[in-house]
Amino acid sequence: MALDSKNGAIELVSVTKRFGDMVAVDSVSLSVPHGAYCCLLGPSGCGKTTILRMIAGHETPTQGEIRIGGASVAGETPLRRGTAMMFQAYALFPHLSVLDNVAFSLKMRGLDRAERQKEARELLSKVRLDHFADRLPAQLSGGQQQRVALARALITNPRVLLLDEPLSALDEYLRLRMRGELRRMQKQLGITFVHVTHTQLEAIAVADILVVMDQGRIEQAASPNTIYNTPRTAYVARFIGGQNVLSGKVEGVADGTATLRAAGGARLTVPLGSAKPQPGSQLYLSIRRDRIDIDGFRVARTLSPR
Amino acid sequence: MHDTADGGRPWTFYALAAFFALFVLFLYGPMIVIYVLSFQGPNGGLTFPLNGVSLHWFDALIKQERTGDIAGAFQRSIGLAALVTVLTVLFSVMAGLAFRRRFAGAGLVFYMAIASLIMPGLFVSLGIGLVFQMLDLSTTWYGSALGAQLTWTLPYGLLIMFAVLGRFNRAYEEAASDLGATNWQRLQHVTLPIVLPGIIGVALFGFTLSYDEFPRTVLTSGSSNTLPLEIWAMTTDVTSPALFAVGTVTTVISFIVIGLALTSIALIERRRVRRAVSVGKSATVS
Amino acid sequence: MKINQQTVSWLQVAPLTLVLLVFFGIPMVLVAVVSFFDYGRLQIIPAFIFDNYLELFQSNLTLRLYATAIKYTVIVWAITLVIGFTVAYFLVFHVRSLTVKIGLFLICTVPFWTSNIIRMISWIPFLGLHGVFNSGLIGLGIIHQPLFFLLFSDFAVIVAYVHLNTLFMIVPIFNSMARIDPGVIEAAYDAGASRWRVITEVVLPLSKTGIALGSIFIITLVMGDFFVVKIMSGGQSATVVSALSTEIASLQYPPAAASAVVLVLVVALMVSAILRLVDVRRELTG
Repeated sequence: MALDSKNGAIELVSVTKRFGDMVAVDSVSLSVPHGAYCCLLGPSGCGKTTILRMIAGHETPTQGEIRIGGASVAGETPLRRGTAMMFQAYALFPHLSVLDNVAFSLKMRGLDRAERQKEARELLSKVRLDHFADRLPAQLSGGQQQRVALARALITNPRVLLLDEPLSALDEYLRLRMRGELRRMQKQLGITFVHVTHTQLEAIAVADILVVMDQGRIEQAASPNTIYNTPRTAYVARFIGGQNVLSGKVEGVADGTATLRAAGGARLTVPLGSAKPQPGSQLYLSIRRDRIDIDGFRVARTLSPR
Repeated sequence: MHDTADGGRPWTFYALAAFFALFVLFLYGPMIVIYVLSFQGPNGGLTFPLNGVSLHWFDALIKQERTGDIAGAFQRSIGLAALVTVLTVLFSVMAGLAFRRRFAGAGLVFYMAIASLIMPGLFVSLGIGLVFQMLDLSTTWYGSALGAQLTWTLPYGLLIMFAVLGRFNRAYEEAASDLGATNWQRLQHVTLPIVLPGIIGVALFGFTLSYDEFPRTVLTSGSSNTLPLEIWAMTTDVTSPALFAVGTVTTVISFIVIGLALTSIALIERRRVRRAVSVGKSATVS
Repeated sequence: MKINQQTVSWLQVAPLTLVLLVFFGIPMVLVAVVSFFDYGRLQIIPAFIFDNYLELFQSNLTLRLYATAIKYTVIVWAITLVIGFTVAYFLVFHVRSLTVKIGLFLICTVPFWTSNIIRMISWIPFLGLHGVFNSGLIGLGIIHQPLFFLLFSDFAVIVAYVHLNTLFMIVPIFNSMARIDPGVIEAAYDAGASRWRVITEVVLPLSKTGIALGSIFIITLVMGDFFVVKIMSGGQSATVVSALSTEIASLQYPPAAASAVVLVLVVALMVSAILRLVDVRRELTG
């Protein structure tokens, strides 16, 4: 069907998307290996959904190139790209039964009724919904609709599955359970997942590669562990959470440490890694809350409230 | 809304409800009088009291004694209405789809449609009559009258499609493309089926507006009358309750068509609306 | 090889546009052209003279006709506005269940989808000297002589207009009201407004668009009507269009055309006055 149908590795090469004067995605480059679970994380408006839609083929990049499986997919339809999308509110066809929803892509391909219904039923039993085959989507609960949406997407045998905030319509309990489900499913299928969300914990829980975004740019893309332990920017640290972000002006640098003078007068001594800050420049650091030890304290001076 | 403290209704509710009931009575009262009077006895006059009860006047319709060519007019009206319905649905749906994108001249077409809607029907009739006269063509119920009625039904159809397509969620179409549908398949299997209730609404408007249409048809129908024109001829010469019988019959037909259309819309919508009961039941399964 | 989206839109909107051009646009232009023609006893003579317009403007009759038409329009507008607003208010704000709301709305609407002429006719046995209303009042002893003014009078004309056209006020106002965020109403009550103040300060301003749309419909319908006034006044009253229809019947097309052109301009003025006050475009396309 598509170009290399086994390889779901995704590459974004300096991809930019403009809507009129507004820059939604600003020269983004990203590499996702085949079979990885990639999460795009960021607040609304950061460009994560736009990137998802460009990978799917529902939007075209203004500049730059998107490659899947090593080859450019410019101008290809979603089906030819080997991508399938799970929409935010599932977008299940309200006028078709669950079975017909799942079998839809097969019908578009021209399979006859008996065959496509058989395949659809098989997939439905895998997600444990075969008893609902003849119901209409309106008669299903949120969690069930989601599984139908998943089945409908997976029946096309995609090499990349794109999920647009898949858990946001579910209640808390289901959300937690579905995280595990999604991850388990991805490992089982062995295809690449790209999952867009604005919930940090969710992203950390499911992702192999976590991409933190802000205002159309990637702030950091790495494994959740790396991002949590070594956030690269103050924004990433604050967004991921569980961090204390402090800053101060560099007063002096001496064998691998720097002395900072923070606002309010406190002095901090900070170990430097490879950073070589100039005296007088502003330095940011973050300390994870679980790494703080209180080892006796003296009140040097009272800090004036600001 | 603004209920009293004990959850009851404020006095305004009853006042307004009474007003509403009076209004409904105002709407239906005279029509019911006509229905009753159409069962007037053979010697009865145009008003109460009923001089016996009979189907005499309905009989007179069929026998066409004092009523002119009712049967012919009726057939022509139904036929014309059917034609108008089909064309209105086709053209309005297509045009409605066109307006989802910007295209040069969209504003002009829109304003022309609105103008056509509010233009007094008699003027449209006059204009078309003149055109046909100048071109030395004869006006016919299936030609000039058809066109005249379309100028009335197409704008309504277009407005309905605007409302329907405006509410339509584009995500369904994206999902269809995502799953491999071509543009035509998308239209056929997703867009049109989902807006089907709206399309039925367009058909309903097309039929009823055409079936009862008078001012636009009055100068364009040519030598054969439609039913409304026939009725008009009878009103200038009201001498028997046969007119009431015609009124009853034609209203019954309208009600049947309306009933069919509304029932099918209701049935379709009901299946697609979320039902709270099932959600509770299957919460445990998911 | 993809067809340009614009071209697709043009193709889709073409049938509707063509029908409107051929059966509305061109005829209307022709009417305007014919208004400058000369005419003899039985034929019209192509020319370019202003005689028809001059006769129109110099005639006292014209003024009387417009006065009558505008008189009817204003009275009908006022009555349908009050009824329409009240009914819509009742349905939107006092009826709780959606099903009942839709049901009652349909009950109001369905009569309008049946024949206008029949519904107009149905007032005759109702209002006549020996009709239901008079007989009823006499029977109840309220009056001893039948009331003459009920039928074939201004009263009958106005009753018929209201009966036929109130729907066109109810629907747009209903739409506007239904869009009002219930939270706004609640907030007004919380701020201490009485029910009446809520109506005047909140509901009325927010229903402006619906009222404007409804008014436009009523104006164009009443100003453009010819058959209601003819029948219900018993030939005693005449409005612009009813006089026009008489001219058409005597094949005097050029003066009729001139009269039509002037009427359209007058109505267009009235409509644009309303549009200047209220912006209805959002309502139509949104």
